[in-house]
Amino acid sequence: MQEATFLILTALADGSQHGYGIITDVQKISGGRVRLRAGTLYTALDRLRADKLIGVDREEIVDGRLRRYYRLTPAGTRRLAAEAARLHANANAALTRLNPAGGMAT
Amino acid sequence: MTDSASLERGYRRVLACYPRAFRRESEQEMLAVLMATAREGQRRVGLAEAADLIRGALRMRLRPASRPPRTVFTAIKLMYAGAAVELAAWITVVVTAGSVKSAMVHRAPAQWHAALIHLLAVEVIGPIAIGLWLWMAWANGRGNDGARLAFASFFALMTLSLLGWLAEGAVVYARAELIACAVLCLIQLAVVVLIFNKKSNPYYRPELAQR
Repeated sequence: MQEATFLILTALADGSQHGYGIITDVQKISGGRVRLRAGTLYTALDRLRADKLIGVDREEIVDGRLRRYYRLTPAGTRRLAAEAARLHANANAALTRLNPAGGMAT
Repeated sequence: MTDSASLERGYRRVLACYPRAFRRESEQEMLAVLMATAREGQRRVGLAEAADLIRGALRMRLRPASRPPRTVFTAIKLMYAGAAVELAAWITVVVTAGSVKSAMVHRAPAQWHAALIHLLAVEVIGPIAIGLWLWMAWANGRGNDGARLAFASFFALMTLSLLGWLAEGAVVYARAELIACAVLCLIQLAVVVLIFNKKSNPYYRPELAQR
């Protein structure tokens, strides 16, 4: 899974969000490192919708423009959990090897 | 015109690259996000922004409607590789055509005429072949069963012409051209094996998979 996709799913993990909300949230989650552009975001959202990992939660009209809220589907939640566990295991393995004594690196 | 109106017009122009169905569904929404992320007083679409949008549009247009099995996915990548080899070969022919023609006149005056015709044919057929590779990649990616058969015929045609050419012993355009043709035939062989693989069948013929 690409990092952008992972971060988008993470942004939706605690509730539905609209496109602009996802962009600001992803920026926050990644500590300001990842700033999604609209093209990247909507290509990913379109793919995730086709794969049924996310769905449309609701639609609103704000200032005459359509605003669509996305949420994780059960399949999306499972997929994100599996990916997070995989990354976690990898990170743990790396940290263990970097620091075999198990103490804190200083 | 106000700054935001001219910016919005710019965005609309770039968004026109996206597939129609996607635009109907998401253009308004994307436009809202683009306007929300624009800088204060921005009047024009930034270069990086436009590149990102165009890349997204290309990706959406090229990718298959549903995720193909790994065999088909690899086959599609190979088809794009085939187009790239074909393009490289064609560029080489076009760039070197002049010097090859003059070499022909000096070394093999008797065959000069045939060589010229061959060169011309390669120059004309090249772009058609590149287009064919790209179209096959696109159509096979969409699970078009006709495109699968078309590719098999494409393979048969190319292999037969390569064999016929070898039998004639006509080494018109040096070893490089033969190698390019052989490489393309091998790529095609790999693609044919992949798309007619048992794992690929349900993607092309979903009605069989449901039984």
